[in-house]
Amino acid sequence: MRWLSFLVRVALGGLLLVTGALKVAHPEALAAAIAGFRLLPQAAIVPLAVALPYVELLLGLYLVLGLFTRIAGSLVCIQFAMYAAAVASAVLRGIPANCGCFGPNDRATADWPHVVIDLILAGIAALVVRVGPGALALDRRLSR
Amino acid sequence: MKDRSLTTLAVVVSALLILAIVVVAVVRAFHPSPQLQNASFSPTIGTAQFGGTAPEFRIPTTAGLFDLDQQRRPVLLEVFASWCPHCQRETTVMNRLYQDFKSRVAFIAVPGSATAMDGASPESEADLFNFMQRFRVAYPVAVFDPQLTVANEYIQGGFPTIAIIGSDKKVVYLNSGEIPYATLAEALKKAR
Repeated sequence: MRWLSFLVRVALGGLLLVTGALKVAHPEALAAAIAGFRLLPQAAIVPLAVALPYVELLLGLYLVLGLFTRIAGSLVCIQFAMYAAAVASAVLRGIPANCGCFGPNDRATADWPHVVIDLILAGIAALVVRVGPGALALDRRLSR
Repeated sequence: MKDRSLTTLAVVVSALLILAIVVVAVVRAFHPSPQLQNASFSPTIGTAQFGGTAPEFRIPTTAGLFDLDQQRRPVLLEVFASWCPHCQRETTVMNRLYQDFKSRVAFIAVPGSATAMDGASPESEADLFNFMQRFRVAYPVAVFDPQLTVANEYIQGGFPTIAIIGSDKKVVYLNSGEIPYATLAEALKKAR
């Protein structure tokens, strides 16, 4: 179980590191994707587009290192649940929003499969929170 | 190093990283680049719908007056913004499509933003010609539509928006974003 938890934690963290890295140099593409969902006021879009990739990188790094795993996992769970809600609202409103999940070259349109994937990822994050960091985690060192 | 010191170090480093993210986000929010500022506007959704009748329009272009009602062949319409990096990259796809399909498809690109290529000054005829020259645009471009009348009918939440209209004036393809050549070529082959 310790090693399974380790694998899940590192895979989820690795995914966030990839998505964050693909977006961090392209805030304008992410801003356009966020604006396309027509959920947030314009004043909130620029800071979110700038900060979100760094947040993903930070949370991804914490999960990979197994540092503050339960806190990072909780935030990741909330993050993916919010993504799922945003995508679902776009689909329900018939808005052809671009997902923007994997940076400017991600041309996927927000659809129900995206909602399902985001909910699965939120569930995996919740599992990490429940089971704990598993093997090879800095948390184990800190809690000695 | 003692474990308690390690915990303190991790907490302090985390707090500094979070503070750095907040500072960067706030600074960029108050001093956004023109591209970032433009990208953050919620895009308009036009009345055109997939499968529906295409909104009619007449507009002067670099190849003469374009009247949708007079077209007897399929039409590929692109709504673009000269400042938009996706639209700038899409010119390569559009040029290739134009070369391959111009014998049986009418092409037209219409400006969809009131902002010019520098992301700050108002859109103008000169800016559109500059865009065409810089990206070697071979297909007809509407110059100039200050009220964005055509764009506002067709835009689908982002730049570029591409619509393909059949000769029966039904919208047979409608999407936004950077769309690959193969997807559009396939849609054009099916358009009648």
